[in-house]
Amino acid sequence: MRMILKLKNDLRKFRFEHDEMSQQALANAVGVSRLTIHSIETGKFNPTTLLSLKLARFFNVRVEDIFFLVKEEKDNE
Amino acid sequence: MNKKIRKLQIINIISGVLSLVIFGYALFVFLRLQPKMVAFEVLSDIESGMMTGVGFGLLIILAFHLLSLLQMAIYIKHSEVIKAIPLILFIIGMISMLMVFSDVALLNDINKQFLHGMTQPEWSLVYPIMGFQFVITLIITVLHISGFFKPEQYDKVARDSNIYLIVQYVGVICGLMGLASSSLGFVFPRAWSLTIHTTMGGIILLFPYVLSVAYWMLTKFKEKNREWWDEKQLQDIGKSALLTLLIDTGFLLMLFILNYNHLDGVVSILWLPLYLFATIFVFSVGNLYFSRKG
Repeated sequence: MRMILKLKNDLRKFRFEHDEMSQQALANAVGVSRLTIHSIETGKFNPTTLLSLKLARFFNVRVEDIFFLVKEEKDNE
Repeated sequence: MNKKIRKLQIINIISGVLSLVIFGYALFVFLRLQPKMVAFEVLSDIESGMMTGVGFGLLIILAFHLLSLLQMAIYIKHSEVIKAIPLILFIIGMISMLMVFSDVALLNDINKQFLHGMTQPEWSLVYPIMGFQFVITLIITVLHISGFFKPEQYDKVARDSNIYLIVQYVGVICGLMGLASSSLGFVFPRAWSLTIHTTMGGIILLFPYVLSVAYWMLTKFKEKNREWWDEKQLQDIGKSALLTLLIDTGFLLMLFILNYNHLDGVVSILWLPLYLFATIFVFSVGNLYFSRKG
């Protein structure tokens, strides 16, 4: 077993706390497609620093409030 | 926007009804002319004119398909997510549109063979193909009348993803059909022609893909602060481009090795369409796969 660091986020939580705004509305606000927001929320896509900063600015929080690292165990092959 | 959609809907209903009448007229003409042409009887000027009328009618049917595909694309563009039924209708509509070109080719062949006193086995293909198109035209026309393709919402989309995905679906269908039709060249090498099969066939099968890419580009030009792809799409395109490079290289190497002893044979006019359609197919499948998987 080895430990790896994975990027997680609370984007969905922030979106819901923000008047339950839709993925499309958030996507429009930061200038990306709805699929990009969906992929970030489901952990399939890691956004660039620029997009992370845009999201943090939109919710008026720090980037670390939305995105954070978690330790996960992974089997050695 | 609402007015434009309404106008398009009315044009589609009119051209749809007109197309259905044309299918009925074509059936009447075929049932009247087929026995005569098969028996090599002389056709009167009126009968020849009736066949020309079918040719012009096919232009209206083609226009109906193109405008219906445009309305479906607008509907899908404004949908929150791409639903299965509109997507299936779009793909079937596209196949039915491609079949207009096969109608023209078949009727042209029948006429040539009739003039040269040869049998016309193509008649057996004309009826099922046009029957399929009639059913599709009927379904789409009814859906136009019911207002099925009216967009549910007109929310502005800063970065479109639905049209981008539709382009990938069209790429999968065109790529697959192009690969299948080009592969037929290996089955019938002597009958394969550079002008008709490779060039014309290739252009016709590329037509929907080029149209959908053109429509996607049009939506891009309308975007404020235009960026060709957003972050996720750019990542997906990079991954599928690498996948396409690997698979295409292997595919063309295999084609070269399998035809090593007869490279001047039919492969000399097939390698380009095979390469082109394999590229479109793999690239589109890759984009769809990575857009889902991440």
